[in-house]
Amino acid sequence: MDYSFSQEQLAYKEKVIAFAKEAFPESYLEADLNSVFSKEAWMKCAEFGLQGLAIPKEYGGTGDEIDLITACLAMEGLGYACRDNGLAFGINAQLWTVEYPIVLFGTEEQKKKYLPRMAAGEWMGCHALSEPDAGSDVYSMKTTATKVDGGYLLNGHKHYITFGPVGDVILVFATTDPNKGAWGITAFMVEKGMKGFTQGENRPKMGLRTVPFGDLFFEDCFVPEENRLGPEGAGWSITNSSLEHDRCTILAGQLGTMQYQLEETVAYVRKRKQYGQAIGKFQSVSNRVADMKLRLELSKLLLYKVAWMKNKGETSMMESALLKLYMSESFIESSLDAIRNHGAPGYISEFEVERNLRDAVGGVIYAGTSDIQRNIISKLLGL
Amino acid sequence: MIEELSRYITEDLINDPDFGTLETDEDLLGSGLLDSLGMMRLVGFIENNYGIKVPTEDLTMENFMSVETIEKYVNSKK
Ligand SMILES: Cc1cc2nc3c(=O)[nH]c(=O)nc-3n(C[C@H](O)[C@H](O)[C@H](O)COP(=O)(O)OP(=O)(O)OC[C@H]3O[C@@H](n4cnc5c(N)ncnc54)[C@H](O)[C@@H]3O)c2cc1C
Repeated sequence: MDYSFSQEQLAYKEKVIAFAKEAFPESYLEADLNSVFSKEAWMKCAEFGLQGLAIPKEYGGTGDEIDLITACLAMEGLGYACRDNGLAFGINAQLWTVEYPIVLFGTEEQKKKYLPRMAAGEWMGCHALSEPDAGSDVYSMKTTATKVDGGYLLNGHKHYITFGPVGDVILVFATTDPNKGAWGITAFMVEKGMKGFTQGENRPKMGLRTVPFGDLFFEDCFVPEENRLGPEGAGWSITNSSLEHDRCTILAGQLGTMQYQLEETVAYVRKRKQYGQAIGKFQSVSNRVADMKLRLELSKLLLYKVAWMKNKGETSMMESALLKLYMSESFIESSLDAIRNHGAPGYISEFEVERNLRDAVGGVIYAGTSDIQRNIISKLLGL
Repeated sequence: MIEELSRYITEDLINDPDFGTLETDEDLLGSGLLDSLGMMRLVGFIENNYGIKVPTEDLTMENFMSVETIEKYVNSKK
């Protein structure tokens, strides 16, 4: 295996780091406290080209071709240099769960309509799968799409949707034929303002607070036929492919954050003195730093392996599940270790150390909970 | 191929000693016999054993509903 990256890929990551250091503030205390989303930051990223990483050039995309490794390295760079973990999380969600399905399944008209606007930051995209009765068991969804003249009528309720309150274009999954189970699921592009479509308010949450998050309601919402993504019944396949990419790159941002977190913790324990010496000299403290480093390096290896496999078009079910499980749990553990090593400043909001822990917890829930990843691993082992 | 696919699905994917025989026209995913992971493992098996690449767009009910439709699909790709 050779995970070495090209000069261009590595140079792009460095460019992202330089951009993010310059473009974003050092403190997100207020934004986190008040759950404020910054459209300005979103637009800066779009101008730089981050939202175009999953889009071919002819539709406003960034690179000559879509390259998962470049996207991963870019997100890692953003996670490292921008203290708002929500930004990398949100961009990534749009890249792989909205843009990429349109690239794979969209008609020429759909690609022309949605992709350039999302690349430019003008439109924000959401991916709406989860429902009150369909979480991990997502294909038991109840939202229906009934065929009518010229299109479909959507009825149902989606919840916990990233960017739900502010999204301009929503990739919604609904069943066109409940008798067909997962084969009956169809994808639709619903646009803000369509009759019968309502976006709920932001729902306050534990972490990733700069990302608006909420409910979507469909009441006899008419969606024209040309807004169906792929053929009827392609919803399962669309979800499958986009979630696989999402699982891989969504964690790349966290990898960058974990790198920053380690560097910041090392600097702190070298500087802070107790009993006449730097606390980093106490083995209890340095052991935690060593564990943080180990988690970071193992996460990196797993992430790069999955990105490398996927870039070669290989399936990586086992590796992706190991990565998602290990890295999301590691970010929680390392965030706790960072807090322990800082003492009270780690616990108090104003020092902005504790926020990582709150941001990390979502990672063991979204894109398949840790339990679901363990199920996948054990099933693949033949259990 | 039908036999080979049926054996893999029954022994490796369903993996339930109480399961009877798999009908060749039985809906694999829609009936819940296989979950998403099972279907993706089946796709991996097909790619490895029959030397074809299955693009995401081909993962439709027409192609992957049952052992019978899969056989037709694989033959059409060879
Ligand atoms: C930050 C964040 C962003 C999100 N963004 C989106 C989005 O943009 N679009 C979207 O559609 N959804 C989104 N979600 C929703 C997310 O996909 C679901 O929360 C997730 O699928 C889990 O579903 P649930 O919350 O209903 O939990 P449940 O499925 O009810 O699970 C509850 C508990 O039961 C366990 N459990 C369930 N089934 C099994 C099983 N078979 N084996 C073992 N344990 C099991 C779970 O692991 C968990 O511990 C987001 C969630 C979060 C936290």
